[in-house]
Parts: sequence; structure tokens; C-alpha cells
Amino acid sequence: MSEKTDVKQGTLALMVLKTLDVLGPLHGWGIARRIEQISGDLLSVNQGTLYPLLLKLEQEGSIESDWGASENNRRARYYKLTRSGRRQLQSEVQDWQQTTEIMARFLAAKAEEL
Amino acid sequence: MKPLRRMWMRMTNFFTGRSGEQRLREEMQEHVAMQTEENLRAGMNPAEARRQALIRWGAADAVREQYHAEKGLPWIETIWQDMRFAVRMLRKSPVFTTVAVLTLALGIGANAAIFTLINALMLKSLPVADPKTLVRLGNDNNCCVGIGWQDNGEYSFFSTDSYEYLRKNVPEFEELAAMQAGFAYRPVIVRMDGGSDTPRSVMGEFVSGNYFRMFGLNAAVGRVLENRDDVAGAPFTAVMSYETWKTRFNSDASVVGSTFRVNTKPVTVVGIAPAGFYGDRLLPSPPEYYLPIESMPGIANVAYVHNTMQQWLYMVGRVKPGVSNGMLQQKVNTLLHQQLAATSYFNSPEGLQKLKKIHVVLSPGGGGIQSLQQGYDKQLRMLMAASGIVLLIACANLANLLLVRGMARKAEINVRTALGARRGRIVRQLLTESVLLAGAGGVAGLAMAYAGTRMLLAMAFPGASDVPINASPSVSVLGFAFGLSLLTGILFGVAPAWLASKAEPADALRGGVRSVAGGATLLQRVLVVVQAGLSLVLLVCAGLFAESLSKLEHIDLKLDPVNRYIVHINPQTAGYSQRQVGELYRAIEERFHALPGVEKVGITSYTPMEDNNNGWGVQVQGKPEHNAIASYIKVNADYFDSVGTRVVSGRGIRTQDTVDAPHVAVVNKEFVRQLFKPGENPIGQHFGGDVKSSGDWEIVGVVEDTAYQSATWKDHMMYFVPPLQRPLSAAPDSIDKDENMYAGAVVLKTNRPVPEMEELARKTLAGINPNLSVVRFQTFTAQIAGQFNQARLLSRLTTLFGGLALLLATLGLYGVTAYGVARRTSEIGIRMALGAARIKVTAMVMRGVLAQALVGLALGVPTAMFCVKYVRSQLYEIKAVDGWVLAGAILVLLVAAAVAGWIPARRAASISPVQALRVE
Repeated sequence: MSEKTDVKQGTLALMVLKTLDVLGPLHGWGIARRIEQISGDLLSVNQGTLYPLLLKLEQEGSIESDWGASENNRRARYYKLTRSGRRQLQSEVQDWQQTTEIMARFLAAKAEEL
Repeated sequence: MKPLRRMWMRMTNFFTGRSGEQRLREEMQEHVAMQTEENLRAGMNPAEARRQALIRWGAADAVREQYHAEKGLPWIETIWQDMRFAVRMLRKSPVFTTVAVLTLALGIGANAAIFTLINALMLKSLPVADPKTLVRLGNDNNCCVGIGWQDNGEYSFFSTDSYEYLRKNVPEFEELAAMQAGFAYRPVIVRMDGGSDTPRSVMGEFVSGNYFRMFGLNAAVGRVLENRDDVAGAPFTAVMSYETWKTRFNSDASVVGSTFRVNTKPVTVVGIAPAGFYGDRLLPSPPEYYLPIESMPGIANVAYVHNTMQQWLYMVGRVKPGVSNGMLQQKVNTLLHQQLAATSYFNSPEGLQKLKKIHVVLSPGGGGIQSLQQGYDKQLRMLMAASGIVLLIACANLANLLLVRGMARKAEINVRTALGARRGRIVRQLLTESVLLAGAGGVAGLAMAYAGTRMLLAMAFPGASDVPINASPSVSVLGFAFGLSLLTGILFGVAPAWLASKAEPADALRGGVRSVAGGATLLQRVLVVVQAGLSLVLLVCAGLFAESLSKLEHIDLKLDPVNRYIVHINPQTAGYSQRQVGELYRAIEERFHALPGVEKVGITSYTPMEDNNNGWGVQVQGKPEHNAIASYIKVNADYFDSVGTRVVSGRGIRTQDTVDAPHVAVVNKEFVRQLFKPGENPIGQHFGGDVKSSGDWEIVGVVEDTAYQSATWKDHMMYFVPPLQRPLSAAPDSIDKDENMYAGAVVLKTNRPVPEMEELARKTLAGINPNLSVVRFQTFTAQIAGQFNQARLLSRLTTLFGGLALLLATLGLYGVTAYGVARRTSEIGIRMALGAARIKVTAMVMRGVLAQALVGLALGVPTAMFCVKYVRSQLYEIKAVDGWVLAGAILVLLVAAAVAGWIPARRAASISPVQALRVE
């Protein structure tokens, strides 16, 4: 476990929103799987902890959920982005990009440039 | 927005009980199933696939808890848990809980009751429109009819002429209304026309036509009085109070428009006053009828309404916006001086001199005429202080109880800390417990306050039927008392817990078991000492008031109340003219004498020890002018015997002193003492109202100084004249305006108790004239006792508070001592094992208790001495703390302390050394 990176709550929320934005309505397992795939299993998430987060996002109104049928005909709860969730995603993505740009520039800087 | 929305969802979930557990379980099932399938695809065997899927899910319990926390309001649930636990803990120690709740209830209840009364009496405005803009002309309770002002020239009641002049000439008033000052002393007799019920003697107030408009009030039914009703010659009209309409006439709408007989005169009730309106002043018996001023001469047959000099009205006006009070006051005074200067009384050089001193002080009118308030003001404030002290003692007691409990729970808290409870969690638990306790005390206090206020009202106004004071305690008062006890609870309930939880569990569990230094802490001792001191102050107060009451009740009133009945009547209201009363008095004497058991039938203007007086100037013939005032009473031949006044020299009034016989008067001893030289024989001397009329009356006898008006009214002169004789110098025609011709009471002396006397009197009077009703009936004893009501109320309440304080202080002392003994069990055991005698152990404990009580005394005695000066004005002939009272209070406190100490001391002495050493 020690080689895997810890995930911050806010980051995870952003990942969930982005996943739903890209893939459309998806059930919990699908979201968990997707995050693992994209991060190349670098992020270790106890999959269960995703659900309190989903609930939080739902109670905030960023996503909504309903029961539906999964690919192999199981009953599953599907989550989808709401309009306010989409807005939230946009602004958070912007913030994140800004932060990473700054960090990238900062870390790339050589001694003579400083 | 987001956090708000999340909060809202959580709250709805919490209150709808949606836990989401089911949903999570299903989602988890699905999730694990999908992961298992994926694992199977990856080539695992089924068992391993499922195991791995579950591992990937993570700690299921943690997830569930997190999920649950997200869904609902976990902290409320914790509080709920804490509450349930607290209730369990409190139920486990019923004595502690009962004592604490009772302490709080008494403290909160007593305070809320007193504050409620003060709030209702002192601070509340009349239930009228915009009371802030009302102004009263005048600021004291001078009453009721006459010419008078305060010694400092303050002028507070007015003649009809003054009222009309000011009303016309002060446009700064939107409305200026006038109202009868002394209606409480002049009930009207009312009977519904055509009704079968007997006439009732009730309060009726004569008011100006704009009275209701000035207050901004509309009628509940019908209409209010208007200016057109208040015109000489207008048909008689009246407005009935809502309360009377509701209780007497079952809110019957047909009352409006129907005719009533008021003092036998037909009066049309034109409307019902608004609900809750109790007139312009707070009185135990508010007016039931409001009648226009101009109908008063016709209905009440009084001359003073249109006498230019006689003052009998109060004035209250509504001021227009933007008028300054100072300017208005100046204007009112200027105009009043103008008006008075034209009257015969002031129209002379001396008169103008007098007039210069006279002035009106404007006072806020929103609370109405403050007659009752001024009477109770000081006493209520004193009671407030007393109840405040009780609250302090209660808080100290509560603090002590909680401290003791907190210390005792140290071990429990240590164990809990050792088991991993966080400090915040423990403190919160104890906080919940304290708040719960305070809450229970508050609720009990609320009940206590309600009952207490009712009790106070019943005690303060005995016999009054509908006192317009609400017994429900005011919110601010309850809030205050409740807040204070809550604060006490939190402070003293949590502090020990905090200290306890700070200790290292291991240390705490190890130490403190064999401590010799134990016992109660300094804080606890200080609290107990303060309680003892404060309760001593209250005990001394109670003693002083009891002494004062006893002194009052043992004043020699120089009368005999045994088997005497007083029947108040008003022949005027039954339609008798001044020239007809002679016949009536003869009939009364005859008919009452015919009743079995009746020995004497006294007829008089008013009786001893009733709130009434009629003072006139007197001048003895041949003496220099002495500006003396004496009370004037008309009495018949039986009167002195009927009230038990002894004739000390000369003779009393006789039946032979008829209207045509020589004019005679009997005077009291004080009259002789003040107006004659020592040794001078007053019999045969003459006196009158002034130098000119000083030959009016010849003194034929002297009686002892029977107490009139009140037991404490001393050194007042009186003279008694036959019922039909009038001053020789009076003009014969003036009899038609002479109100003194009317008797106010019949005094019956019987040879045995006659319980049915009230009914007999009613029948006898109705037999003479159906309109002649009983205004008020009382035994003489009851009338006298009524004069001591206030003193008795004060004495009882201070005793109550003193007792309460003593009880609480004793409880506190007991608690601390018992706790100390319990803590020192092992120490005492060692002492006894080493050979200490039981008696020595007892003495040791008692010494501790008495030492605290003595320190309390050392604080309390000087405080009590100091406080007397604040209550002195309420006491009768007591200037300082009486040695006996002080000794009594000290003794009571010491006995209480000894009792509080004795029980734990006995327990200490009965400790068996072996057992004690085994403790813990």
C-alpha cells in the first residue's frame, strides 16, 4: 500500500464529477473502476468510501441518482451529473489547472531563473 | 448555497427518520457482486473472487458510519443519547435529583412570582391605544372630594370647572379626559330594570364623555360614551365593563340598549367596554359601570360636581405629537392659576398667596392612576430583594450539590477516561446532565411561580373577586431566573468534571483513596457560610415583621368587636333626600331592635377601623385661632355602645338630642388634650368650624380615643354629633346639599353570635324599602383584621422566605457535612482504631458544622443590622434590630445547623474501624 498515493477528499470528488461528465450516468462500481483505471491503480481507494462521498455530492445537488438496470441485468443505482454539478466541475477544473500550472512552472524552474 | 442545501437534506433525513442504511446495503451488494464478476473474469476461483471483492470494498463498518454521518445529524443523536444516559444517572440518585430540582423550583418559583407581581403592578401599561402618549395632570393619590393639595403645593385632583377650563384652553391635548377620583369609596347600587334579582352594590365610575375616545378605545358591543352623553339634561347612559357583561349577563347582546336602575334612576346601557379594559387604574375591584360626569348630580345626588371649588376629578390626556412636556406643564399651570384665581376661595390676598404655591406636575399617564402602585411599591421591592436572596441561596445550594456529586463521580470519570473516553465527550455528558437538571427545575419553578403568584394575589387582595392581574409569569422573569440556575448548573456541574477528566487516569485511579486531607473543599465551605449568613438576614427580617405585626395587633383600639356586625348602607342611592333620612333612621332603629338577639343599633356616618374619614376645621369659642382639623361623625344614641367606645366624662348622644333640641357634641380625649389646657373642663364649652360659627356645638361629653381609619393613625381629634342636628350657623336650605346627613353604616351589637345576620340585615333593610340594599357586610372583627392585611401579608411572606432560606441553608450544611464524613470514612476509622472515643468523633464533626454556622453568623449579623434601615419604613414602631429577634434568629439558625450536623456526626461515630479500613 505504501507505494500508492493518498487521495484527498476534494480531489476524489473532482474525479467523480469528471468521470460522470465523460461517461454519462454510471453506477458506483463503474465510477470506482474508472478512477482506478485512469489513475493506473496508482490511487488506492477503499471502494466503499466512495459511497459516502456520492451521498454528499447528491445532498449538495451536484449529482442525482436513481435505480436502473446494469449491463448484465442487475439492479444498480446510477449516478448522473446535474446542471449545477456541471458548473461546479467547470470551475473546479479551472482551479485545478491553474494550481497545477503554477506548481509545474515552479518545479520546472532552474536555479538561475530564480 | 451548497452547505445550506446539504444541511437541509440532513435535517429532513433526520426528522423523517430516513437512515439510508437500506440503500447503502443494496448498493454494497451490487458493488461487491460486480467486483466479484470482474475478479472471476480475471481467473480467480469464486470464493477467492468474492473475498478479494470484499477486501477492495474496505472497512464496511467505517463506511457505514461515514455514510450515516453524512445522511443525518449525528450530533443531535449523540445529544439524545447523552440525555437518555443523563436521565438514567439522575434516576439512580433520586435524593440528589429531588433536592436539586426542589431547590431550583423554590428559587425560580419565588422570584418569578414576585417579579410577575411587580411586572403586572408596576411596569405594565393600561390596555389602551398608544399608552406612551398619555399624560396625567398631577402625580399623587390625593383623594377624593374636597379642597386640598400636598404640603409642597403639588395639586393632583381638580374641580369640574378646572377640568372644563383646561380642556377648552389647551389645544396641545388631542383629548383631555377627567375621571372620578374616589369612586372606590362611593359604590353605586345597580339593578336590571324588570329583573327579579336584588340590587347589587358595585363600582361605578363617573367619567367625562371623551374618556373612551381619549384612551383610543371602541366598544366591544354597542358604543362607548360620547360627549353628547355628558351634557346636563341628557338621558342617563352607561357603559358596562366586559367582565361584568360576561360573568353577570352571560355576554347577552340584549343588555345593550336595556334600562338599568342605578341608585334607582333609569340608565340605558349603551355599550360594553372592550375586553380586558379595567378602567384608568389598577384596583382589586375595577369599575363595572362607566357613567358620564353630568349624570352624577342626578344619579348620585351630590352637590360637588358643580361646586366651583370642590376637587374630585383626576385628569389624563393624550398629547399631540411633538409637544414638549416642559412647555405643556408650564401652560397647564398658567391656565390653572388663571382659572383658580377667579374663584372665591383664592380671590383674596391670603388666597393668592396660597395660589402661588400651587402647581401641577405632569406625570406619565400610560400606567393610569398609580394609586395601588404607590401603596405597594416599597413592599414589593423589599420582597423582591428577599426573593433574590432566596435565589442566591438556592444557587449556592445547587452549586454545592453539584460539586459534591462531581467529586463523588471522580472515580467513575477516571474509569471512563481510562477506557478511552475523550475529555470533551465526558464534559458534554455532564453538561447535558446539568442542563437537564436545570430544565427540570425550571419547569417545576414555572408551576411554582404560577401557584405562587395566585397565592400572592389571594393574600394581597383578600376577598377581591376579579383582580385584573394575570397570574401567568412573564417570560423575561422566567428567563432570568432560569438562566441564572442554568449558569449555576453549568458552572458547578462541569467544573469538577473538567478537573477530574484532566487527571491522568492511572494517577487518579491510584490516588485519593487514603487521603486524610479530604473533606469538603474551601469553595464548598464558603458557599455554606454564605448561605447561613444570608438566611440569617432573612430570618431577622421575618422576625422584625412578625414583631411589627404583633405590635400592630396589640394596639389598644379602644373598642369592642365581639358580637358586632357592620352593615354599610347608602340611603342616597336608595333615593332618600336629606329631609327624609330622619324617618329612615327611626325605622332602622325600630326594625333592627325587633330582631332576636340584637341589643344595640348604632347608626353612623362611618365606623372605627374602616378606610374613611371626614375632616373639618374646628374652632373653640373664646380661644385664639388654632387652625385645627377634627374628624366629624354623626351618630345616634346607641352608637357608642354598639362599637364599644366608653364615655369618660359627661354623657354620650341621647335619643332626646333631636333636630329641635339644643345642639350638642361629644368629643374624644385627644380633642380635649389638644384644644384645652390641662385641667380645664371642656363640658359646656362651645366650638364650631371657625371663629364666626364657634357657637355651633356645645360639648356635653368626652369619649376615649377609639381608633378610626387605621390602628396607626394617632393623635387625631374627633367630634360626634346627633344624626339630624346641623351646625347652628348653617343656612336652613343648605340641608338639600348636605351630604353629611346620610349615614354610612349600621352597627349591630348582639348578645350572641348570629351567623345569619347578613341575610337578616338584607331582609330587614329591604322590608323598609326594596331599594335599600347592603353595600357591604362584615363582622367588626373582620373589618379590623382587614386593616392588618398588608402587615400580615408582609409578615407571612418574609416568614415564608426566611423559612425557605433556612431550609435551603440547612440542606446545604447537611450535604457538605455528610459528604465530608463520607470522604473521611477511612481517616475516622484509623482514628477510632487508634483509640478515639465515639463522642470525640461526634464532637469533631459537630465542631466543623458549628464553626461554619458561626462564621455565617459573623457575616450575617452585621448584614442584618445594616439591612434594617431599608425596611424600617415598613415596620411599626421598630427602629433597630431587637435583641430578642436577633437572638431568636441566631438560635433558630444554630439549631438548624446542629440538626444538619448531627445526622452525619452520628454516622461518623458509628463507623466501625475495621469496616472503615476495608473501604475501597
